[in-house]
Amino acid sequence: MKNLLKSAAVALLMGVAAAGAAAAQELKVGVAAEPYPPFSSPDASGKWVGWEVDFMNAVCAEAKVKCVLTPVAWDGIIPALTSKKIDAIMGSMSITPERSKTIAFSDKYYNTPTAVIGPKGVKFDATPEGLKGKVLGVQVSTIHADYAKKYFGPVVSEIKEYQTQDEANQDLASGRLDAVQADLITLQAFLDSDQGKACCEVKGNVKDDPEILGAGVGIGLRKEDTALKDKFNAAIKAIRTNGTYDKISKSYFTFDIYGK
Amino acid sequence: MDATLHLLSLTSPGWGGVLLGGLVASLQVAFGGYLLGLLIGTGGAAGKLWGGPILRDLLEVYTTVVRGVPELVLILILYYAGTDAVNQLMALAGLPSVDISGLAAGIFVIGVVQGAYSTEVLRGAILSIPPGQIEAARAYGMSPLLALRRVTLPAMLPFALPGLSNLWLIATKDTALLAVVGFAELTLVTRQAAGTTKAYMTFFLAAGVLYLGITLVSNLVIRAIEKRALRGMTRPGGAA
Repeated sequence: MKNLLKSAAVALLMGVAAAGAAAAQELKVGVAAEPYPPFSSPDASGKWVGWEVDFMNAVCAEAKVKCVLTPVAWDGIIPALTSKKIDAIMGSMSITPERSKTIAFSDKYYNTPTAVIGPKGVKFDATPEGLKGKVLGVQVSTIHADYAKKYFGPVVSEIKEYQTQDEANQDLASGRLDAVQADLITLQAFLDSDQGKACCEVKGNVKDDPEILGAGVGIGLRKEDTALKDKFNAAIKAIRTNGTYDKISKSYFTFDIYGK
Repeated sequence: MDATLHLLSLTSPGWGGVLLGGLVASLQVAFGGYLLGLLIGTGGAAGKLWGGPILRDLLEVYTTVVRGVPELVLILILYYAGTDAVNQLMALAGLPSVDISGLAAGIFVIGVVQGAYSTEVLRGAILSIPPGQIEAARAYGMSPLLALRRVTLPAMLPFALPGLSNLWLIATKDTALLAVVGFAELTLVTRQAAGTTKAYMTFFLAAGVLYLGITLVSNLVIRAIEKRALRGMTRPGGAA
């Protein structure tokens, strides 16, 4: 018994000490701990890959900060930032007025349209009329969830919210959903997979609402870290002009995802 | 079948290594949490049995609250609000803020939850010892600590073991709840592997087998411990 207790105490102390040592001088950049291709997803060796991971490396190199990618649950990613578990969010988070009340954002680094996908063979549009009576899936605490509630909430039979985008896609493929609303690029990645090819297609882009859908994706930061924000803004501008941004994007996309 | 084995192979592009990494993380949390729980439980049981009225009331509040609130909710509270509170305390004391790793937070959360349950298990077990044995220890002039080590702990162990082994099995599976805070234990890495490869059946079955494996191995160990604790006596409440 005594030995058990001793080792418990030692294990606890070691845990705390290890945690303390890792805190020095590194910027922890949070991404959602879920596959979100082509932006960020884990590969078989446990490493994170994707456009946003390459972007993070480029921006951090430009800003001369040492960044460590830290996977965090998406629905807790803002609390993780404010409670200092992470120092920045590069998780395809759109800049919205609602989120800006809690955290600060850098300038946008990409902006893509929002789309609705559904099963092949059923014809409908990404409009309130088209989605009438349907079951719509979205990811929890995203701009898409807010948008769907405002525009489609009154007409659809149900809006189902999922922890991860992948789970929503799965339920669409298995027929529990009639439609899924999300960012066009990540939906495209699903539609390009074998499973997506077999079942579904794009039904159209939704009507824009900057108030909800935001002004593109930015790096989420704590409000007080203004120096870091300036650093990142300068770095984003620099990689946009020196061609690094385009070089990274070319290996993932056939068009410019920066948007207008 | 070949494709399935390929997906589960230990090195990239197979995900077997990632799954095993998750298993190790799960076991670390379960083990650390369980030991911390035992520590809290021993103190808690002692406090409930022999503490003053204030200590007893405080412990009653602790066990009631922890056992009354879903573990998922506790994990969310302790992980997010807990870190914030620790850092605010550190700031008040003029110390730099610490970063609580997922592992440390996980061990702490599971430990607090397990502590409440093991307090009750151990308290019940101590109460099951015939009072004459403890009185005899006192009559021999043993100090309370010596009596605890030589009489109370060994005598209560047979009564506590069934409850404690249950708690261990629960601890191993409670680690799956840490997936919600993004801690890379077995369940979360399984979901990531399944989501990336779309091979849901393969990976969830593999994870199920790993969890089952923990339980089977644990059962062997528990049986060995029980055998040792019960040496020289008939099994309480049943045949030897």
